[in-house]
Amino acid sequence: MQNQDNTLVALNALDKIFYTDDVETHALEGINLTIRQGEFISIAGPSGCGKSTLLSILGLLDTPTNGNYQLSGHNVTSLDKDERALIRNEKIGFIFQAFNLISDLTVQENVELPLSYRSDISKRERQQLVADALKQVDMQHRANHFPSQLSGGQQQRVAVARAIAGKPAIILADEPTGNLDSKNAGAVMELLDKLHANGATICMVTHDPRSASRADRIIEIFDGKVVADRPSETPSAIAI
Amino acid sequence: MSLSIEFKYSMRMLLKKPLFTSLTILIVAIGLGLTVYTFSLLNGLVFKPLYLNGENEIVAIEAQFDHNHLSRRAADPYHVNLAAKQLGIFENHGFFTEGTTFIGGNSSQYSALFTAKKMNASYTSVNIFDMTGIQPLHGRGFIQDDFVDGAEPVVVLSYDVWQQYFNADPKVINQQVALDAMPGRIVGIMPEGFSFPDKAQIWQPLNERIVNPVEATFSSYLAFARLAEGVTIEEAQAGLDAINQQIASSIKEDFNFRIPDDGRYLNVLPYKQASITQYYNIFIALLIVVFLILLLACINVSNLLLARVNERIKEVAIRLALGIPRKKLMIQMLWESVFICTIGGFLALLFAAYGIELTNNMFNQAFAINNEKPFWWTLNIDSQAIVILVFSIIAMVLITGLFPAYKALKSDFNAVIRDGTRGALGKKAANIGKALVISEIVLSCVVLVMATVLLSTGYFASKADYGVETTSRLTAQLQLPPEKYPVRRDTEHNYQDRINRSQVFYRIKSAIDAMPNINASAMMTQLPGTGEGTSFFEIEGRAAAVYNENPYSNNELIASDSWRALGMKVIQGRDFDHRDAEDGALSIIINQSIASAFFPNGDAVGKRVRRAGRNGQRGDWFTIVGVVSDTFHGSTMSSSSASYNSYHSMDNLGPMRQYIAVHYTGDEKTATAALMQAVASVDSDVGIYHIQTYDNLIQQPMKLLLSVSKIFLFCGVVAVILAASGIYAMASNSILTRTQEIGVRRAIGAPDKKIMLMFLKQAATQLLIGLALGITLSIVLTDYMSNTIVINPESYGIALVGIPLLITFMVIIATYIPSRSILRLEPSDALHYD
Repeated sequence: MQNQDNTLVALNALDKIFYTDDVETHALEGINLTIRQGEFISIAGPSGCGKSTLLSILGLLDTPTNGNYQLSGHNVTSLDKDERALIRNEKIGFIFQAFNLISDLTVQENVELPLSYRSDISKRERQQLVADALKQVDMQHRANHFPSQLSGGQQQRVAVARAIAGKPAIILADEPTGNLDSKNAGAVMELLDKLHANGATICMVTHDPRSASRADRIIEIFDGKVVADRPSETPSAIAI
Repeated sequence: MSLSIEFKYSMRMLLKKPLFTSLTILIVAIGLGLTVYTFSLLNGLVFKPLYLNGENEIVAIEAQFDHNHLSRRAADPYHVNLAAKQLGIFENHGFFTEGTTFIGGNSSQYSALFTAKKMNASYTSVNIFDMTGIQPLHGRGFIQDDFVDGAEPVVVLSYDVWQQYFNADPKVINQQVALDAMPGRIVGIMPEGFSFPDKAQIWQPLNERIVNPVEATFSSYLAFARLAEGVTIEEAQAGLDAINQQIASSIKEDFNFRIPDDGRYLNVLPYKQASITQYYNIFIALLIVVFLILLLACINVSNLLLARVNERIKEVAIRLALGIPRKKLMIQMLWESVFICTIGGFLALLFAAYGIELTNNMFNQAFAINNEKPFWWTLNIDSQAIVILVFSIIAMVLITGLFPAYKALKSDFNAVIRDGTRGALGKKAANIGKALVISEIVLSCVVLVMATVLLSTGYFASKADYGVETTSRLTAQLQLPPEKYPVRRDTEHNYQDRINRSQVFYRIKSAIDAMPNINASAMMTQLPGTGEGTSFFEIEGRAAAVYNENPYSNNELIASDSWRALGMKVIQGRDFDHRDAEDGALSIIINQSIASAFFPNGDAVGKRVRRAGRNGQRGDWFTIVGVVSDTFHGSTMSSSSASYNSYHSMDNLGPMRQYIAVHYTGDEKTATAALMQAVASVDSDVGIYHIQTYDNLIQQPMKLLLSVSKIFLFCGVVAVILAASGIYAMASNSILTRTQEIGVRRAIGAPDKKIMLMFLKQAATQLLIGLALGITLSIVLTDYMSNTIVINPESYGIALVGIPLLITFMVIIATYIPSRSILRLEPSDALHYD
């Protein structure tokens, strides 16, 4: 369920502090952010500014130290591990810079993996969803291959298929083109554009200004704080 | 200078990880320590050839081992001499037999010998001291004149006997001493530690007629020989095989009992091995177990090194990228191994030395009552063991140093730097990890099952119901002095001699029974719980076509009215009485098991049975006059033990030795005094020795096996520690390498319990494979051991159910703890785990 104003994600005064021995590192400070359904958001900023930490919290891979996080109108700030796992599985799709496919599983099995943790989908439905996802990324002909038999671009397309197979509410992409050459990077961005065009909500962390410019909005972060939240055509507030 | 820097850097790396360093050193120490210990143990006990003071090996020559009685079988000296003469394979050879001689008595001038003391005597041929190359410390050895008819009885004393009973007085030479109540003369003292051929405390001559017969005889003597120059044991055996054929084809019918079914009558064996033939399989099993433990240790070290490689692969890659030559990195890794293995080797030597000391103490305790420890059973870590240790250390340095170096240096350092460890490890490392876990499970299963089987069998044997009452029972061995109670077979004195011997035993029994604190006494050649060994018997009218398809039983000579002292009962028929003392009386009492098995209608009494041997040998028919309650002769863990027992009256057979069991009231010390007093009151020259409780007597045959079991227990404990830590380390390492994968799975929504279940399922697969292989191997090896010991079903149950359960528990813990620790990480941390 989502809010009436179409807000999918709402972060309010969010902090994340890391403790290493006696050192406190404020990775995120007072983050306020709203993502509406169907938006394509790009999070930008220099290395170490807190982009990936923010994405981890958005993806329920990590928990904030302070603040509030609402996803689809539900407060997900202090859910237990299993509840977070369930939401990740049903509402969030991940695309990682290093693809993170499981090397022992075939393309088909990798894409099927998140669906296999869902009890509400039959095997036949699962296979249909996998086939649809692979078709969307044009990788159905490689369904029985192992990741090591694919190029980097192909692996990332499989990772995109895995992210969209369960029809998530939001796709979180962490430097999806960071490990790819320009040709493959372009192909992956086109895929994301296509998904966005079909209504997917995408939140992408990227260094690449060209990739970032594909988004509707660019959130700029510096030293753990949001320093700009602007439409993509507006010039950057900081040098990336 | 460069070396010094590398050495310092290596030390710093090791000190930086004290737990890793200590653990690796400890595992190396355990592995090497067990190697040195087991090498010293088995080399000392079994494998190191006996040379004494000669160039060529000393061997044993004897008839084929008697598997029914688990005992060595001696050969006719005539045949051994024939073989030696025809083949020329021995430099020289001699004969011996072992027995007991009582020294001292009323006439002794040495206070320690006022009561005659029983000594393990070796009756030998004249050349024993010359052949071993060891001459007496004082006095002389044997000379030919000592061996002729009518010669004065002479004795050579061992150093210990001289010290203990003769106050180390050199003047004992040429002094008279009572030998089995007859005057004899001490002619020599042997040097300290000499007790060849086995456990001799004194040496006496064997008559020349015995060692050099002019024709085949019924006599049987064990023989020792020194191989001739350049002759191997295999060549000697080949020669004997040819002679065996010759003997078999020409032997007279009277003597064909000597020829076994396969014709291998005379055998040559390494001297040490011959004395432990019945335990040989167990020593081999021990060797296998220790080898498996070494493998276990090696796998653990390999795993630690693999983990170390995984940990340091990025560092090595950076150093390579910076241009440090591969050779230097290799030398640095070797330095670390040199340190680990040298310290480990030093600790190993200490462990092994401590183990050897414990084992020597254990053997001393095991043989404390009967002094029957073979002279070479005093172990030490000799130069050979040190050489083995040094070679093992060098091998370990090379393996543990070069292996990680090779693994680290062969990786694509560019890929490692670019991708982190993900690119460097992968499926191959994961498969190695899985294979190591399975190997750990297999090896620990085998080692623990074997150790448990032996220990449990020993425990149950010591607690077994032997069918007799052992509480408030003392036992002792009685021996008649042969000069006073002679054995004159084939003469007119024969029957009267036998009656005389029986009568003195009965007088002793009456004197014991008359003591106020004695309830009853029993006399038997071997008491229940001891005296293993069986012979085949035929039932009249129901004889099998082949002798060894007949049933078999243990046979003992017994005094009448012995049952109640042992808590046994006559169930049917009668006890032995005066009728059985007549010359030629052939009566027998069987136990209930035989009666139930072969006379189920209760009609055993009156039926006839007789001994059945190979080559048509048959004994006289004996009439069953009674059936008594069941007992078990021999240890329940000995394969030669018997639940079928038959008893013959001792009355008309007149044994020279009898065991006595006394049921007493009050305290043991008073009962012991009463027993000794009663024997002395009848005849002070009758020897009484090995006085001990019945419970202790029952444990005697198991002492050696129990000693070996303790070694197995130690191995088992080491194996449990190695297995538990190893399985944990393997599983943990294997799971940790999948941290990122787990991060991915959790990122896409896998619930923690499903991930835990996945790990447990994978562990279950490894467990099932490991246990299937481990249990199969264990069954094969325990079956190999069961040639010597009887493994009771309870022990099988404990070992084959308990050990897999223990390993299952270890695997579950080893999987659960590291899995839980990964699942405690936030998924984002797991994804970025390096």
